[in-house]
Amino acid sequence: MSEKIYAWLLRLYPSRFRETYGDDALQLFRDRARDEKGFFASLRLWLDLLVDLAGSLPREHLLMRSALSGASTQPCRDGTPSFQVLEGKGPHPGALLFGCVVSMTVLAVLPILISHVESSRPSATSTTQPQRPAEERSSSGHQVPQAASGPKEEINGGAKNAGEDATAQGQPVNAAGTKPSDARQNGFRSNSLLPAPGSPRQQGAAGSIVQAAKLEAAERRRVIDGAVSNLRKYYIDPDVAQKTADALLAHEKNGDDDAVMEGGAFADLLNRQMKDVSHEAYLLVVYYETGVPEDPPDPTLAERARYKRTMVRNHCTFEKVTILPHNIGYLKLNAFPDLEACRPTAAAVMSSLNQTDAVIFDLRDNHGGNPKMVALLCGYLFDRPTHLNDFYDRGENSTEHLWTLTPAPGNKLADKPAYVLISSGSFSAAEGFSYDLKMLKRAVIVGETSSGRGHMGMPHRIDDHFMIRVPGIKVINPVSRTNWEGTGVEPDIKVKAADALETAEKLAASRLRKK
Amino acid sequence: MPKRKLDPLPAAAFQILLSLADGDLHGYGIMRQVADQTDGRMRLGPGTLYSSIQSLLEEKFIEEVDRREDAKLGQERRRYYRLTPAGRKLARAEAERLAALLRVARTRKIFRGDYV
Repeated sequence: MSEKIYAWLLRLYPSRFRETYGDDALQLFRDRARDEKGFFASLRLWLDLLVDLAGSLPREHLLMRSALSGASTQPCRDGTPSFQVLEGKGPHPGALLFGCVVSMTVLAVLPILISHVESSRPSATSTTQPQRPAEERSSSGHQVPQAASGPKEEINGGAKNAGEDATAQGQPVNAAGTKPSDARQNGFRSNSLLPAPGSPRQQGAAGSIVQAAKLEAAERRRVIDGAVSNLRKYYIDPDVAQKTADALLAHEKNGDDDAVMEGGAFADLLNRQMKDVSHEAYLLVVYYETGVPEDPPDPTLAERARYKRTMVRNHCTFEKVTILPHNIGYLKLNAFPDLEACRPTAAAVMSSLNQTDAVIFDLRDNHGGNPKMVALLCGYLFDRPTHLNDFYDRGENSTEHLWTLTPAPGNKLADKPAYVLISSGSFSAAEGFSYDLKMLKRAVIVGETSSGRGHMGMPHRIDDHFMIRVPGIKVINPVSRTNWEGTGVEPDIKVKAADALETAEKLAASRLRKK
Repeated sequence: MPKRKLDPLPAAAFQILLSLADGDLHGYGIMRQVADQTDGRMRLGPGTLYSSIQSLLEEKFIEEVDRREDAKLGQERRRYYRLTPAGRKLARAEAERLAALLRVARTRKIFRGDYV
């Protein structure tokens, strides 16, 4: 009874104070009431409380009166900047005017500068420069899907930008999600039975080009030696690397490679020989008929700005954000885009779900992306930085640690039930997101076993026509000490991908009812 | 959010800093420690206690360490607080200020006898 009275009295405090310390204040009251029994002790307790109320209530209200409560959790739409006044007094009119003038000047000068930079650049960069294979252009071991990224030339800059980001973390590229069409589109092929439409060989069919494609024994040896040394140096598992390298050398010694005279067929043969031993789908020698492309130059400011605009226009691949019945938050995310471009959108999405009682992350069509976005979104589910993953780089013999990014102030989702929907089409970073939360027992994973891409590869140039992609970075989860490569992420609740949302919704609703 | 005033340092805030000097404590632990160290003269109520804690947190004189159970007080998880180096410095400065005041009082022969 007395606790109820005090709980009621606590309502006299400003809401912000109550939200932060209401429970603790009540707990303290319970502790004292338990320890201080008897008439006089109770009387003293109540006297203390009344004196405390009389002293602290006016002070708290004075402090809170001018503060905007919960300002940081107000949603802002589509990354549109919003301004919240946190001080009691508004800014001085002169300061507002000054701010207006400065902003207008900057806005006027910036496009002029950008157009100046663009016009002074050779116009060929974005259209005729040799394109790198899709994997190479993708970011940080997790690929940004093209559908979400707009035109090819536009993702080029952004993806390179993402790659830069990833290089800083020591987690470069990945084969995840690469489709044959991507490969053809970007001017290389690893399968000679499927000639690339529009490739020089098909266009010309001239004897000279076919002649040029013929392999000398010396080049075959060079390619094998290059493959062997890169394997030994970079492949994540030294034992498998050694066995695979031995197999390549044994085949060469037996003369198994001698009959092959064409580059594409030779790459295919080596790939088969390597896969027989390593069982690694993304350990690939790639043949470039027109020559291994040079590394493209770093993206310009304008290219990065264009990438950012494209991403923001595509809502940063947040396909749907809504609140389902029973106050269950739902978001469907189809990639994990770059933080530089998409942090405001992601923050706006999460803050629009801040008041929900449970969250469903739908990653069934998510092809992966940047681990930092994984760290940002996971951050909302914890009240303190939490260790998600390590990325071990064999070549560098270094390990990068991925921790959740500190959640936004005012975040209320840290203790809310979370569900992640996955399918066999969930790749790479999407698998990382679900695997990490599963290992930390922070979310219930619903759907189908995911695709199983937990290794990341880097392309290494062998000579003018051959390069090799070697999975050289693996994810090590701090809980399981392993990852989802090959096995995929096993859902906690196995249902068809199409039924996953309905199942998760029911689970969430029944859990909320029990509360 | 307007900053709370800690200059001059209120008595409650100073007592809280002192109570945390020996180790991390939760809210009720602080309240009891303060009562002990003042011979029961200062019993911080929840409002004053958490208002002071909030001010000290904002100024980074103390920090929240984690939520855990206190085995003696049951299953509930409690927020624990810890004195930061800045908080220790502030407490020392305040103690020195009081010590200087004490020296003045002593020279003015406010105290009876030599003790104190």
